[in-house]
Amino acid sequence: MAESAISVKDVKIQYRVMNKMSLLKAILNPKKFSKTEYFEAVKGISFEVEKGKILGIVGKNGSGKSTLLRAIAGIFCPDSGSIDLHGHSISLLSIGVGFQNALSGRENIFLSGMLLGFTKEQIEEKLDEIIEFSELGQFIDRPVKTYSSGMHSKLAFSITAILETEIMLIDEVLSVGDAKFKKKSYAKMKSLIDNKDRTVIIVSHSSETLKNLCDNILWIHDGEMKMLGTVDEVLPKYNEFMS
Amino acid sequence: MNRFVNDIKKFFNYSSYNVKAELKSEVAGSFLSWLWWILDPLLYMCVYAFVAGVIFGASSKPYFLVFVFIGLNCWQFFNRVVRNSVKLVSNKKSIVTKVYIPKYMFIFEKIGTNGFKMLVSFVITAVFMIYYQVPLSLNMLWVAPLLLMLGIVAFAFSSIIMHFGVFVEDLLNIVTVGLQLVFYLSGIFYDITDRLAAKHPTMCNILVYGNPVALIITDIRNTLLYNQEPHFLALGIWLVIALVISTIGIKIIYRYENSYVKII
Repeated sequence: MAESAISVKDVKIQYRVMNKMSLLKAILNPKKFSKTEYFEAVKGISFEVEKGKILGIVGKNGSGKSTLLRAIAGIFCPDSGSIDLHGHSISLLSIGVGFQNALSGRENIFLSGMLLGFTKEQIEEKLDEIIEFSELGQFIDRPVKTYSSGMHSKLAFSITAILETEIMLIDEVLSVGDAKFKKKSYAKMKSLIDNKDRTVIIVSHSSETLKNLCDNILWIHDGEMKMLGTVDEVLPKYNEFMS
Repeated sequence: MNRFVNDIKKFFNYSSYNVKAELKSEVAGSFLSWLWWILDPLLYMCVYAFVAGVIFGASSKPYFLVFVFIGLNCWQFFNRVVRNSVKLVSNKKSIVTKVYIPKYMFIFEKIGTNGFKMLVSFVITAVFMIYYQVPLSLNMLWVAPLLLMLGIVAFAFSSIIMHFGVFVEDLLNIVTVGLQLVFYLSGIFYDITDRLAAKHPTMCNILVYGNPVALIITDIRNTLLYNQEPHFLALGIWLVIALVISTIGIKIIYRYENSYVKII
């Protein structure tokens, strides 16, 4: 039997619906301020992802895809159920996390890398590779605030792409920068996803992307699992439902 | 408790690196760079020493300049940590929505950056004390636990304020006014006991013992400048209160932090 990398069992995620309000409104309407309403974004979803497999998650906007992805990444704690990563390292691919604009690109590599859960030593090992991939050259020691938006994206993408984890969670496939770097970043992303040792979950609205990259598809509808199966089984039915 | 200890271990390295990064980032663009960490409290000291000493005539207090300087250093630390905590979660939106980090770590980071600046100011305090020939005493050693206690009190209030700051839009206005009131009641540029003990003894006791910031500042001055022991009983009671508030704050943050991501 294939080794499991991610086990999600009956996961439920609720939000306490609390709106921002002014102090005056809170005092005048204390019941409304203290009243706790719940919204169940994920309603008991269970699935397994085998090591090295790529799972795509589809569903209409607000169906709970990103919430589930964030729960697997550990940003949320599920209210009930369990998520077991079997000791694998995990990261949600998001670019430019925790950047401080007054600091140099080099310092931001450490800052962002440590926030993503890597040790200083692990980052030092990959430092040259990140700098080379980012194509920033001498700019790496200049403050990030002096970077163009393209340079900013290049650095941010390079940090995320080079500091690899065993499980990668991707909320829409990223490709950034100018046309040349876009091609390079997409190719890098594809090579990361195609790696046989890496388990990947991708959330995307693009059926084409999911068809090209995924082994299996999980379809979520209003927080519930509607269907789980191979790309050929699920995607045509999802597309038909959405059309 | 286990979760708290594990999270502290897990995020300690990032947070301490971020403290250094924030300090570096603060001075990176300024002309006088880190000198502001020294100039800032010195300039404030001149302002308050002039107002209190010259205008209100309170300069008969021994080592009055150092007395004001100590008060200001402690106050600036407490004020910055608590005031910053109101918008702390929304200011860290880019982090909060992308990775998990226990939100109270942001308060520890603020305590780290402002604590470092306070320690720099205490080095200058030592220089002042040498200049004014303040006699050495064993009681001076109490300053370390007293500063730690100030950090715990700042954390306790900040943890509660940070939580409500996510939901109440205009909390910053209230906190700013509240802090201003605490500033004037904490005897930063005057001695509460000298001013009130004889005329209003009850009021004096309320101001010193009922306000942990005033109590800690009074004790830091007493131990450093006047060879007196701290008020152990009152400090002990406030330590217990601060730890209880901190525990409640941490529990609330853990309970509601899922919702923070949606609201900000």
